[in-house]
Amino acid sequence: MAGDEGERLVAARYARAVAVTVVGIVAVWHCGYDLAIVARSWRVYEPKAAVAVAWLVLAAVQAVGAVLLFRSALGRRTARALAVGAQLAGALAIVAYPPGTTISDVAWASNTVGWTGVMLLLGRPLRELAVFLAADIGIMAARMAADGDLGQASLSRLFTVAYTMAGIQLMFAWLGRRLRETAGQVTGIAERRAADRARAAAEEAVHAERRRRYDYLHARVAPLLGGLAERRLDPRDAAVRRVLAIEAARLRRLFAETDDTPHPLLHELRACADVAERRGVAVTLASYGDLPPIPMADRRALAEGPLLVLSAAATWARVTVVAGGGDVVVSVFADADAELCADGGGPLPPSVVHDREEDRLWVETCWTRAGSP
Amino acid sequence: MGGDVLDARGVTVGIVDDHPVVIEGVQTWLAADPRIRVAHVAETVEAVPDGLDVLILDLNLGGRLVLDELARLAARAQRVITFSQFTEREMVLAALEAGACEFVAKNEGRAHLVAAVLCAAGDRPYVTPTAAGVLASYPRPDSVALSERERTALLWWFQSMSKASVARRMGVSAHTVEMYIRRARVKYAQAGRPAPTKADMLARAIEDGLVRADEITGYSSAASAPR
Repeated sequence: MAGDEGERLVAARYARAVAVTVVGIVAVWHCGYDLAIVARSWRVYEPKAAVAVAWLVLAAVQAVGAVLLFRSALGRRTARALAVGAQLAGALAIVAYPPGTTISDVAWASNTVGWTGVMLLLGRPLRELAVFLAADIGIMAARMAADGDLGQASLSRLFTVAYTMAGIQLMFAWLGRRLRETAGQVTGIAERRAADRARAAAEEAVHAERRRRYDYLHARVAPLLGGLAERRLDPRDAAVRRVLAIEAARLRRLFAETDDTPHPLLHELRACADVAERRGVAVTLASYGDLPPIPMADRRALAEGPLLVLSAAATWARVTVVAGGGDVVVSVFADADAELCADGGGPLPPSVVHDREEDRLWVETCWTRAGSP
Repeated sequence: MGGDVLDARGVTVGIVDDHPVVIEGVQTWLAADPRIRVAHVAETVEAVPDGLDVLILDLNLGGRLVLDELARLAARAQRVITFSQFTEREMVLAALEAGACEFVAKNEGRAHLVAAVLCAAGDRPYVTPTAAGVLASYPRPDSVALSERERTALLWWFQSMSKASVARRMGVSAHTVEMYIRRARVKYAQAGRPAPTKADMLARAIEDGLVRADEITGYSSAASAPR
């Protein structure tokens, strides 16, 4: 379904926004805060080379990770390898701290390593980040233990730092994930709503078509039926019979209009001919040439001449269709009265010939495809 | 119409149809006209004798189309009228291109068949309403260029089956309508492979002043074919 595709696209857009944010945090932190601390406290670290190497390795890990992340090329193994690299660099930096300063204003590495982990493990399950942050804190605790600095005050400081540092980082990762999922869901809901609206519009169109047919019946057929029932119209009257024949043919054509057939025009003309044949009129329907698709309104205009003439034909009628060169010419020739075709206006005005010498009525309607000369 | 000057023995006609009832029906139709004499009837196309003026041939014999046989007959200058219940456009065009003088649909009745026989015997064209519908519709061969009036005459003849009505609607005489229709048919005689029957029709059309020789592309090659 197209909706899944849309959900994926929106989710990818949100994932990218989260990635940009975390890369920004990591860069600002490492190049700004860390560099400032290291510079200010440079004389207390020992060995100094370890600090420099640790800072550079972390910077390299962050740069590689960020590039791969933006290219969506950060696989599981690469992410884990880089994460281990970040932890080792962090451990190297912590080793160079002066004793008893693991949590102090000369300590810089643990927070950076944590954010680096958030960045590297953005696409991994949350538990991998939890393990990573636990390792980060574990390394701090190990250095404090090595210093013999695990008194109550130190422990409570460790817990506070762990809570604020890792807590915020974990929270960030969790929120990023939720944001992405929710965006996808919202898109999905919006698309389903759009599909619902489209379906509703289609149903409305079908309903309008039914309505149109009903209105037609109501306006043209109901008065005739009412007149017959109330004996206002006399079926023995030839004029009444003719009006009834016309409306019967219109009804047949109306129903034929929505049938799915390869040649709707011929199908509709056949429907008109059927009604006349039932009255005992011998109808010939002949067609030559390949019919192009014709819009319904134009088909109706093309069939109007045959419909009226067939309804008035006395004993025989010849209906012909000739297609070619962008034109469709429908003709009806019959032994019928002439006065009928007075209301033959509309989009395709027919040419009407009343051959008085042979008492024939000949109505021809021509349709030209839009754009044809 | 047409076939006005005929020799004393009349027009000799052969009938080939795989339905005996059709043969008898056609014989009865033709017997009513003293100018026509039926000289050969058969259910197959094998033993058609030479010297028939016109052969009435059912296009579908024993479930098989006999277009090739039709072309062979036309090649030996036998005038053939195809008589068929199949009136698809492709069928009508194939018959005319193979060299049939005229195509008469089986539902078109006696008057058209008799008129077609008499015209064919005189190498003059006759166009039934069915053939007119086919010729009036597109696409038509590139070599056939109908004038607007010729196409209108064909179309209205197909629509009404009454040349008198067409004449009144066009505002011309029935004779002029007949000329338009025949000219259109003669132009079609150039389509498809050349045949002596077509050449004879073209030659007669020029003789009658229906068309000029320079209106007929490829006329000379068709006329040079042996009679």
